[in-house]
Amino acid sequence: MSTVRIALAASRTGRGLLALWLVLPVVPLLLWAFADSWAFPALLPQDWGTRGLTEASAAGAGGALARSTLLGAAVALLATPLGAMAGRALASRQVPGSTAVLAVLLSPLVLPPFAVALGLDVLLLRLRVPATLGVVVLLVVAALPYTTITMRAAYAAHDRGFEDEARVLGATRWRTVRSVQLPLLAPALAGAAFLAFLVGWSDYIVTVLVGGGRLTTLPLLLASAASATGNDAQVAVLSLTSILPPVALLAVVGSLGRRGRR
Amino acid sequence: MTTREAPPATVPGTPAPAPRRRPGLRAFLLVLPALVPVVAVVGAALTSALLLSLGLAPLVGEPGLSLDAYRSAATDLGSSLRVSIAIAAAATAIAAAVGLCLALAATAAIRRSRLLGTLAALTVPIPHLVGAAAMGLLLADAGVLSRLLGVDPGSWPPLVGGRWWIAVVAEYAWKESAFVALVVAGVLSSRAASYTETAALLGAGRWARLRHVTLPLAAPALGATAAISFVYTLGSYEVAALLGRAHPEPLAVLAFRLFTSIDLAARPQAAAVAVTTAVLALLVVLVALRALRNLAAER
Repeated sequence: MSTVRIALAASRTGRGLLALWLVLPVVPLLLWAFADSWAFPALLPQDWGTRGLTEASAAGAGGALARSTLLGAAVALLATPLGAMAGRALASRQVPGSTAVLAVLLSPLVLPPFAVALGLDVLLLRLRVPATLGVVVLLVVAALPYTTITMRAAYAAHDRGFEDEARVLGATRWRTVRSVQLPLLAPALAGAAFLAFLVGWSDYIVTVLVGGGRLTTLPLLLASAASATGNDAQVAVLSLTSILPPVALLAVVGSLGRRGRR
Repeated sequence: MTTREAPPATVPGTPAPAPRRRPGLRAFLLVLPALVPVVAVVGAALTSALLLSLGLAPLVGEPGLSLDAYRSAATDLGSSLRVSIAIAAAATAIAAAVGLCLALAATAAIRRSRLLGTLAALTVPIPHLVGAAAMGLLLADAGVLSRLLGVDPGSWPPLVGGRWWIAVVAEYAWKESAFVALVVAGVLSSRAASYTETAALLGAGRWARLRHVTLPLAAPALGATAAISFVYTLGSYEVAALLGRAHPEPLAVLAFRLFTSIDLAARPQAAAVAVTTAVLALLVVLVALRALRNLAAER
């Protein structure tokens, strides 16, 4: 009896520690974001307020938020259809040399982004490619492994019979894609687009190296605020601004996924 | 590359099928829009970095094959390799252990923790840079943890920017543990339940079920996610740049400093560091793939 109780207590403690491990790093962000002053050794801020928000927007958080959103959306918009087409072809097992093709498509996952960005930067400068275009192309390539894997798994579980049926009933090829494939694969497409958005949204090193400081996204603003001292409230506000949109998107994608499974 | 295609089978009595393009060609055309940009970007980037590091594409002066860039970066490169591998190994070990515990708790047959699964899923989309900023606010002297524990800034150990790279390792371990947990829990939740039930019916105790059913089922996913975490940490820049110390520098920080230096002669050295890191990452992945294949063959 007592061993059971000890095991139960140990399991509760373990789970508590695991939850603490995941939550603890976010706690300072939540407190500092609304702290006007918080001197050592106080456990909670002495004055609550919106100083961090004011400082962050004065530093240009609004524009950076818009640019980060656009960058993430552009990467998702390009990488999702490309990954879906590649995923469909790879799932059909008809691609010649499919192992080699998959290895090449997954290679950006393995190669250090700074190495790719650094190598390409010299070339892009010589070819006079606009910096923003260079950043988008590089990030689309970085996102393609995620969209390809996601869509390959989705197409592998997808029943082609529905499409054949629609074709037999006289639907054109394009109509079949639009009215049969897209609705059936919407949850997977949303998941793939979410991952691609995250690649553009959270990138720092590619934007710095290839963007050459002209494309000020949220991560760039956060990095410059965090490397200086004394603006903890601003850092916390910028951090929360970087967390909330992806988490909200995750909730949307998750609910889409549940509806798709029903 | 050889294609193994069976000749089209004709069934007597059925009308001949409408003329179609070969399915292999069709599938290949469907892959091309993704394949072309990846090959172009990765190929061009690696070639350009290699040429730059070998002195064949100098920004100023005449091209000429030499290993000067590697030679002059050698001292820094050695210490950077050691630091980067140590950080990646420590962070990956912690992430794999904690991630496995999280996955086990989130998929346990009795007292399953939905909360831990949700928390791990919410941690994955947080950018590493945000994680680094958060770890800074948590672990610095006069940070939130030192306030919680009531330790003076004077006697607080140098976790941020200190000798042991604690804050850097903690950030990678934290983020990657959530990633490991999500993937391993996905594998366990789809496959483990029926096996575990069967084992329990056959009289296997709790430890026997964990050792002989759950862990072998989790091992391939755990190995794969650990390899991905290791390679990611090896090539990542922003966390070590923000929370690390000035010397020795991890590979990405060293390459970044050399590349953005006003001295143009440092560019080939930066390219040498990039090429070295890329080769190391590829080697690690090849070793990991081999180990995973052996793991699959054992069963």
